[in-house]
Amino acid sequence: MIHAEDVVKSFGTHTALDGVTLRVPRGTVLGLLGHNGAGKTTLINVLTTVLPPDGGTASVAGFDVVAEGAQVRSSIGLTGQYTLVDEDLTGRQNLVMIARLLGLSSRDARRHAAELLESFGLVDAADRKAGKFSGGMKRRLDLAVSLVGRPHVVFLDEPTTGLDPTSRIALWETVERLTREEGTTVLLTTQYMEEADRLADAITVLSHGRVVASGTAGELKAGLGRRTVTITPSDPALASEVLSRNGFEVGRELDAVHVPVSATREVAVVVRLLTDADVDLAALTVTEPSLDDVYLALAAQPRGVLQ
Amino acid sequence: MTTMPASPFVQVGVLTGRSLLGLRDPRMIVMNLLQPMIMLTLFSQVFRTMADAPGFPPGVEYLDYLMPAILVTTGAQAAVWAGGGLANDLKNGVLARFRTLPVTMVAVVAARSLFDLTRSALQLLTLLVAAMLLFGFHPPGGVLGSLGALVLALVVGTGLGAVFMALAAWVKNGELLQTIGMATMFPLMFASSAFVPVGNLPGWLRAVAVVNPLTYAVDAARGFALGAAAWPALAAALGVSSVLLVAGLGLAARGVRRP
Ligand SMILES: Nc1ncnc2c1ncn2[C@@H]1O[C@H](COP(=O)(O)OP(=O)(O)O)[C@@H](O)[C@H]1O
Ligand SMILES: [Mg+2]
Repeated sequence: MIHAEDVVKSFGTHTALDGVTLRVPRGTVLGLLGHNGAGKTTLINVLTTVLPPDGGTASVAGFDVVAEGAQVRSSIGLTGQYTLVDEDLTGRQNLVMIARLLGLSSRDARRHAAELLESFGLVDAADRKAGKFSGGMKRRLDLAVSLVGRPHVVFLDEPTTGLDPTSRIALWETVERLTREEGTTVLLTTQYMEEADRLADAITVLSHGRVVASGTAGELKAGLGRRTVTITPSDPALASEVLSRNGFEVGRELDAVHVPVSATREVAVVVRLLTDADVDLAALTVTEPSLDDVYLALAAQPRGVLQ
Repeated sequence: MTTMPASPFVQVGVLTGRSLLGLRDPRMIVMNLLQPMIMLTLFSQVFRTMADAPGFPPGVEYLDYLMPAILVTTGAQAAVWAGGGLANDLKNGVLARFRTLPVTMVAVVAARSLFDLTRSALQLLTLLVAAMLLFGFHPPGGVLGSLGALVLALVVGTGLGAVFMALAAWVKNGELLQTIGMATMFPLMFASSAFVPVGNLPGWLRAVAVVNPLTYAVDAARGFALGAAAWPALAAALGVSSVLLVAGLGLAARGVRRP
């Protein structure tokens, strides 16, 4: 549904996209993970026909982004990194306007707008100016606006950056519902591993305009980032000693002991070693690697291990 | 998508409607009317002795001479507003969204142009009525001639407005645009037949005035108001305005497409 082949885009001497290739099959969600400046927004701009690529080709919904821009624009919805709504209009006016531009009659546009306001929990705020909306409401309105006309392909550029945790979870639920009920193809960019993990079927990691890894969340984390087992043992000193003796890296912090593990079965090994040594565990948590862990691991490995 | 995009005409309608929602702001209306009223008051008082000056057409009241020029210059200044309006729109996130939708950029700038035409028409109409009721403006050309001058002022303003929109779409900077607008419109207004006959201007100003399209626009509007149609000037004003309109809208649309 989305297909980019060796896409290059430069701004002056700075190469923002340095040969990006990716594929998003119909009805799936791709999480595009990358730090600030990795090139996520630039790639979205190329795929949404806002910026022409300098090299390579890309197609969305079967249409070439350069030669068939108008058709691409008829198939997509975009929730940008910054809200793309008219802040001088009310929430309802924004939705009706976009629906009218997409060819709905005045009556159908009103009905469609009312449905979207309902399903995005914006009924109470519908007739207030969008400029007066809270950050979370604005994002929801933006998402609602990008879904007017039921696009086949939706781009979400850092949809939850800057949102409070409650709004973030509400937005995740909305995206999940969208992909489950409508079968929409989604390309979602994020700086948070957790977000990609929760929403995406597959993840592509972008760094300095290049794809440095891609795979499922599980593959990425298993192969690249190390999880950390954190335990609160009855005897921290003994626990540390037993684990180091068996080749584990160990970090102490007050009563807690941190043990990085590279495979799931190592969690079991840690538990068994401590049980054998008669150390009781008051608590045990396994922390997923963060995006930083994945990046750090990637920096130490040859390119494209997981591709 | 389950629907076909709206036709360009519907798009223009919807987008003009969007801008008109903003016009409901009473502050905007006051702002729009205040400046030309002040101009009219000042000019009609300051220059009332002008009609006795040599070179001035005999038997013509200065107000009858001035009012068509006020209409044209007010319309021309509204052109700078049109550019400023588009520059503002470019800062509005919704324009970035339009680039990702099946919306033609020509519809975006044409709607902006139509909106400014509407605003300018209301402004000029109020001005005309005020001039008639408060200042006793009853030119030989009558109401019909006055309306002719008004319509011409709108045409000229729309053509110039397209130029300022093109400028706005490429420089993408409202403040810079206002500065450029002021720096071009004021000299154009004064180096023209707007306030004194061209023959009364000093040599170099006269040279500018003779080639200044505003001179033709003012002469043609004045022809309507004074009941003596100035056909060559009218043809020149309409010709230049149409060229500016088409070229301006085309360039503006291309500029708006570029982020
Ligand atoms: N319009 C632009 N002009 C110049 N440089 C740009 C422009 N847009 C993005 N860049 C640069 O390209 C790189 C990628 O930016 P971007 O795609 O916005 O990254 P991300 O969205 O992943 O944070 C950055 O180094 C950024 O500074
Ligand atoms: Mg970005």
